[in-house]
Amino acid sequence: MSASPITPVFVRLKLSLLRNGLRRSGGRKAAYIASAVFALLFAALQLIGLIALRGHAHVESLVVPAVAVLGLGWAVMPLFFPSGDETLDPTRLVMLPLRPRPLVRALLTASLVGIGPLFTLLLLIGSVAAVARGGAAFVTGVLAVVLALLVCLALARAVAAANVRLLASRKGRDLAVLSGLVIAVGAQIVNFGAQRLGAAGLGELDPVGNVLQWVPPASAIAAVHAVGEGSYGRAVVQLTLTAGALVALLAVWSRHLTKLMTSPDESTLAGTETAVRERSSAGLGRLLPPGRTGTVMERGLRYVWRDPKTKAAWVTSLAIGLLVPVFNAWQGTGSVYFACFAAGMLGVQMYNQFGQDTSAFWIVALTISSPRDAYVELRARALALLLITLPYATLVTVLTTAVLGDWRRLPEALGLSFALLGAMLATGAWTSARFPYSIPQEGYKNVAPGQAGLAWISVFGGTIAAAVLCAPVIALTIWLNVSARGDDWTWLVFPVGTAYGAVLTAVGLRLAAPPTARRLPEILAAVSKG
Amino acid sequence: MGSSAVRVRGLWKRFGQQVAVAGIDLELPAGRFIGLVGPNGAGKTTTLSMVTGLLRPDQGSVEVVGHDVWRDPVEVKARIGVLPEGLRLFERLSGRELLAYTGRLRGLPGAEVDKRATQLLDVLDLAGAQHKLVVDYSTGMRKKIGLAAALLHNPEVLFLDEPFEGVDPVSAQTIRGVLERYTASGATVVFSSHVMELVESLCDWVAVMAAGRIRAAGPLTEVRGDAPSLQRAFLELVGAQGRDAGSDLDWLGGGSR
Repeated sequence: MSASPITPVFVRLKLSLLRNGLRRSGGRKAAYIASAVFALLFAALQLIGLIALRGHAHVESLVVPAVAVLGLGWAVMPLFFPSGDETLDPTRLVMLPLRPRPLVRALLTASLVGIGPLFTLLLLIGSVAAVARGGAAFVTGVLAVVLALLVCLALARAVAAANVRLLASRKGRDLAVLSGLVIAVGAQIVNFGAQRLGAAGLGELDPVGNVLQWVPPASAIAAVHAVGEGSYGRAVVQLTLTAGALVALLAVWSRHLTKLMTSPDESTLAGTETAVRERSSAGLGRLLPPGRTGTVMERGLRYVWRDPKTKAAWVTSLAIGLLVPVFNAWQGTGSVYFACFAAGMLGVQMYNQFGQDTSAFWIVALTISSPRDAYVELRARALALLLITLPYATLVTVLTTAVLGDWRRLPEALGLSFALLGAMLATGAWTSARFPYSIPQEGYKNVAPGQAGLAWISVFGGTIAAAVLCAPVIALTIWLNVSARGDDWTWLVFPVGTAYGAVLTAVGLRLAAPPTARRLPEILAAVSKG
Repeated sequence: MGSSAVRVRGLWKRFGQQVAVAGIDLELPAGRFIGLVGPNGAGKTTTLSMVTGLLRPDQGSVEVVGHDVWRDPVEVKARIGVLPEGLRLFERLSGRELLAYTGRLRGLPGAEVDKRATQLLDVLDLAGAQHKLVVDYSTGMRKKIGLAAALLHNPEVLFLDEPFEGVDPVSAQTIRGVLERYTASGATVVFSSHVMELVESLCDWVAVMAAGRIRAAGPLTEVRGDAPSLQRAFLELVGAQGRDAGSDLDWLGGGSR
C-alpha cells in the first residue's frame, strides 16, 4: 500500500476534466451545458414519474426491467463511445507506478463523479421510492442504490478494460459508426413497446420482471420490493447476488488492468497481426453471373457486410422496414399496404450508388467507356440489391399479412410492393447519375458539408417521383377495390405490379446509363469530398 | 519507337479563381521512363487526372497512343493503367479481392486475372498480406497494391501519381524493380514526383512543371544541361535560385501572377 492515497488525485482529475468541458469554444460549450442540463432534467422528470408511480400495481415489473436496461446501457456505452470518458482509458496510466488494488479503488471512486453516475443515481433513488414499502424496505433501499450504482460503474470499467485492444483498432472505430444505428433501432423498439404497454397495462411486463429480478443490478431493486412484501429470504438472496456480481466484476477488471499495465501495447507491435480472412461470400462468387455483372454484384454484397457505413444504412433499412409494418399490424393499427414500407426503405439503398463508392469510384470510372458499360454496372448494382430486397420485401409482406390474417389482400400488397421497389430502383439509378454526393467515412454524417441540398433533391425528389410512377398500380388497386365485382380481380395487381416494377427498373437503368457514362469526371468530383 | 505515347495540346484547368493548369503543350515519347517533376501545387496531379480522363479539362485536347481521351474512351481506357494520388481504393476488399475485382472489371478472363494477381502479389512482396483488408494496409502496401491493380491488364502506358510518396525504402526498391522491367519491354511509364534525385536516377526523359506551366521537357541530359544535378537545373528553371533551397514556396516568384 502506498503512503499517499491516490484516490483523491483521481477524483480531482475527474473534476478537472468535467470543468474543462466548460472551457471550450462557444458552440461546444453551449452544447456541453445543454446536454448536461437536458440529462439532469430528464433524470429529474424520471424521478418525479417514478415517485408518482408509487403504489401502482405491477410497478416492480416496470422498475426492475428499467434498471436492467440501465445496466445494459452501462455495459455497451464504452463499446460505442470509447472516447466518452478519458479516465476510462487505462492505457493512459501505463507509465504510472501503480498497484492494481489501490488503482481499482481510485478509478471506481473517480468514476462516481460525473453526469452519467448522477443520472443513474437519480433513477435508482426513484426506483427505490417507487417500489419500497415500509421502513425496512427504505433501509434496504440505501444499500441497494449503492450496490446497483457500483455494479453499473464496475460493469462499464470491466467491459472497457477487456476491450481496450478492440477499441483502439479499426474494428473499434467501425463499431462506433454502427452505434447510431443501435440507438435508432432501439428507439423504435422502445417506442413500440411503450405503445403496447399503454394499451395493455404494466401487467404485460410481469414475466420479464420475474426473470430480471435475479439479474444484477436489477436484483438490488427487486430486493427492496421483496423486503416491502415481507419476503426477507428472497431479498437476502437478491442482495447477495448483486454484491457477488460487484465482487466478480471488480476481480475481472483488476485482472485486465494488471495485464494491460504489464504487457506491451499491442498497437505498436507491427507485423504480429495475423492476416484476417474476412470471408462472407467466398462461395457466393461462383453462383453469380460471369463478367462485369457478377464482379460488381460480389463487391456490392461484400460491402453490405464489411463497410460500416453501408452496413449501418442496410441494417437501418432492414430493421425499420420490418418493424413499422409488422408492429403496426400487431397492434391492430396497421394495414397490409403498410408492407410497401419495406420495399420503399430498401429501395432507398439504390440512391447515390456512386457516393457509396467514395473516391474509389475512379476504379469504376476507368473501366466505363460506353453507355453499355455504365448500363451493365448499374444493372449489376440493382441486381445485387434485388438479391436481398426481393425476398425481404416478400417476407415482410407475408408476415404483415399473417399478423393481420388478411390473406385475401396478399397478392395486391405484393404487387404494390414490387411496383414501388421497381420505381425506387429506377429513380435511384437515375439520381445516382444526376445528383451524386459524398458520404463522409468518419462520424455519423451521411452527407458532406455543402451537399445537403443535392442529397435532399436526390432522395426526397426521387422518392416522390417513385410514388408518382407507381400511381397507375395504386389507381388499379383502388379501382378494383371500390368497383362492384372488383374484389374477384384484385389478384391481378400482383402480376401487373410486378411486371410494371420490372419495366420501370429496366427503363430507369436505360435512362441512367448515358448520363453516367457522360458525366464520369463530374460524378468522381462530387463523390470525392468525404 | 518514334511515335508519342501522350500528346497534349493547349490544356487548361481552373478551379474557381485559381488556374491549376495554364495552357500545356506536351509530347511524351513512347517506350520511355518519363518523370513529371515540379513542386507541390505545380499542377502535376491535375494534369495527370486530365490526361487519364478522371478530370474534365476546361480547354484543350489529350491523345494517348493516338486516340483522343474524351472522344474515344474505349480505345484509351483499355490501354492505360493509373495509380492516382489522394483517391481511395475499395478498401474493404482484401488485396487479392481488389485485384480480382479490378481485373474482371477490365474484362479479363477470371482464371487469367487470378494467375496474374498471384504473380504480382508475389513480386510486390504482398503475398503474406493478400487476405488482409486494404484498409489495414500501410502506405507502402497501398501503393504496391495500387500498382498491381494498374498493371493487371498489361497497359501500354502507365500513369503513376507520386508512387514513392510515403513509401519505405524496401518497398520503393520493389516498385522500382517492377517498373524498370516493365519499361524494358517497350511500355511507357509517366510518373510524377517532387523528389528530383529519384527522377534523375530513374528517368531518361523529364518534363518540368511549375505554376501550371511546362518549363522544360526533353531527354534528361538536355533538361539538366550544364547544371551539376537535375535539382540545380530545376531550381534555375523555376527561378528559385538564391533563396532558401529547402523551401517549396513556388507561388513566391517564378510565375508572373
